[in-house]
Amino acid sequence: MTAHLGTIAFVSLTALTILPAIMVVSTRNLVHAGFWMLPCLIGVAGFYALLEAHFFVVVQILIYIGAILVLIMFALMLTRDVMDPKERQTNAMGVWAGVICGLGLLASAHMLFRHPWVGVTSHPGDAHAQTVALGKALVTRYALPFEAASVLLLAALIAAIVIAKSMRPPAASVGCDGEVSGG
Amino acid sequence: MSFAVPTEHYLLLSAVLFCIGVAGVATKRNPIVVFMCIEIMLNAANLGFVALGRHFGDVGGQIYTMLIIAVAAGEVAIGLAIIVSLFRTRETIDLDEADLLKL
Repeated sequence: MTAHLGTIAFVSLTALTILPAIMVVSTRNLVHAGFWMLPCLIGVAGFYALLEAHFFVVVQILIYIGAILVLIMFALMLTRDVMDPKERQTNAMGVWAGVICGLGLLASAHMLFRHPWVGVTSHPGDAHAQTVALGKALVTRYALPFEAASVLLLAALIAAIVIAKSMRPPAASVGCDGEVSGG
Repeated sequence: MSFAVPTEHYLLLSAVLFCIGVAGVATKRNPIVVFMCIEIMLNAANLGFVALGRHFGDVGGQIYTMLIIAVAAGEVAIGLAIIVSLFRTRETIDLDEADLLKL
């Protein structure tokens, strides 16, 4: 019974994830593309729930939907009028990109199903035990990657400020020599 | 309670999601849509990590998912700054126009 429930949940979550992802790629309206990201990310959060990774359901909704998607939508609203929506939204690579992606997908599917996989052997603990294990691993065995990620995030945010900051007056339109007047 | 969906189905779904993202990155002209497609690709990778971590009963899959999420947040911040900078220099954000380094 639970196996059937799992299959039904998997198929519906697949539809909830794949179709919006295709719409993000295919739609011409930028704001629609941003809103189509939402069901796609929610679908991935649903997959985390199905995989019993409870902590990441919350993280996915908090970070991806609450922070990253809102930031992208913000940039989308800012630059919406820069590119004419009636103009062509894709470059000349469409056919080749489709062919290469299709071939890559077929190759990875072939490699996935070439050998039978052994069934799921592990039974993850409940949400509390799993989150405790994750937190302990983060400060013991994986302490160095965790700290490296923190430093990376800090460096990225400082770099974003430095890149986006411009001391140049907007009227002085210069060429593309990349000259930056002092900070 | 275990929902017996085989791990390879998750991995195939992850591959499909990744290929959709690659197609978007390769074809779109608006950098913000390209960033959305990169987010889709990162989500596909996360899904694969979590599925494999569960398959092998290892906490490492979830750890790396967390690191990828941190990288994704940094990537979006840098990317939006680059878009702002690109618009200041070139007066457009069309990626077909941003071919300064092209031979």
